Amino acid sequence: MDAERIKSALADITAEQDPTLKSAKLASLCSALWAERGVDLVVVGGSAIEILTEGAYASGDLDMCHATKASLSVAERKEIMGLLDAKGGPRNWQVAGMYLDLLGPVESFARTPYRRIEGPYGNFLVTKPEDLLVERVLMSFYLGESKTAWKCARELAIVALAGAVNMDWNEVLRVANRPEYRNVEQCKVLVREVADELKTKNPFDSD
Amino acid sequence: MNSKPKIPSIPIEGSISWEDWLKGRRYRRELSQLVAPGINRRKTSSSDRRLKKLFNGERGLPFTPTAKL
Repeated sequence: MDAERIKSALADITAEQDPTLKSAKLASLCSALWAERGVDLVVVGGSAIEILTEGAYASGDLDMCHATKASLSVAERKEIMGLLDAKGGPRNWQVAGMYLDLLGPVESFARTPYRRIEGPYGNFLVTKPEDLLVERVLMSFYLGESKTAWKCARELAIVALAGAVNMDWNEVLRVANRPEYRNVEQCKVLVREVADELKTKNPFDSD
Repeated sequence: MNSKPKIPSIPIEGSISWEDWLKGRRYRRELSQLVAPGINRRKTSSSDRRLKKLFNGERGLPFTPTAKL
């Protein structure tokens, strides 16, 4: 990506006042710049939930991980983020009026692909909703009850049940049955609850 | 609600165009609001200090109202 294109993208992202668009555009730009150097980034955590659900959940930081085995050296990161006038580093930057955290290698158990969005500055990846749903259900109970985590899981379930996000429900069950989670019943309860509210078929019903 | 979705889905395989993802924002927000009404942003986190400094005491920019999506 040439310097003029980067400058124009940065101006657009800096001026953007919609928090979800700002995150998505920054993810698109960073993913393109990292990909030019052979590293795939993926949006994770609250930003990923926001991009998939519009659930009015995310805060002003974008969390990304690298999906390829290797990441970039500190010098390469400094070079790229310097092109974006970013402050800080080598893992957290203030850039274009928000924060970017690069967390390390992505953790995923689902066998489905990362979701791919053709962003304005290049494609970017979003972590798998199957992983996110099971993880948020776990977080709902892990350290006492978390209503926020439960709400996030409900948001993921409803967008999937309504067909706005395609979800592999068999993968949800397989991931939930892994030793890292063991929360199949809680996931089933949540999905049944949301399916009933939406008056739609529960994908976990056998008939 | 068993009808086909009103908007292009975010697919498992392949990709969704930017325009189609934008088109789906309002519908996804409307769905999310059915099961988790209001603003669901966490009240606190370990990033509070830097976020509140950047966003004038808030933890991020205000969300665009559903009607404007």
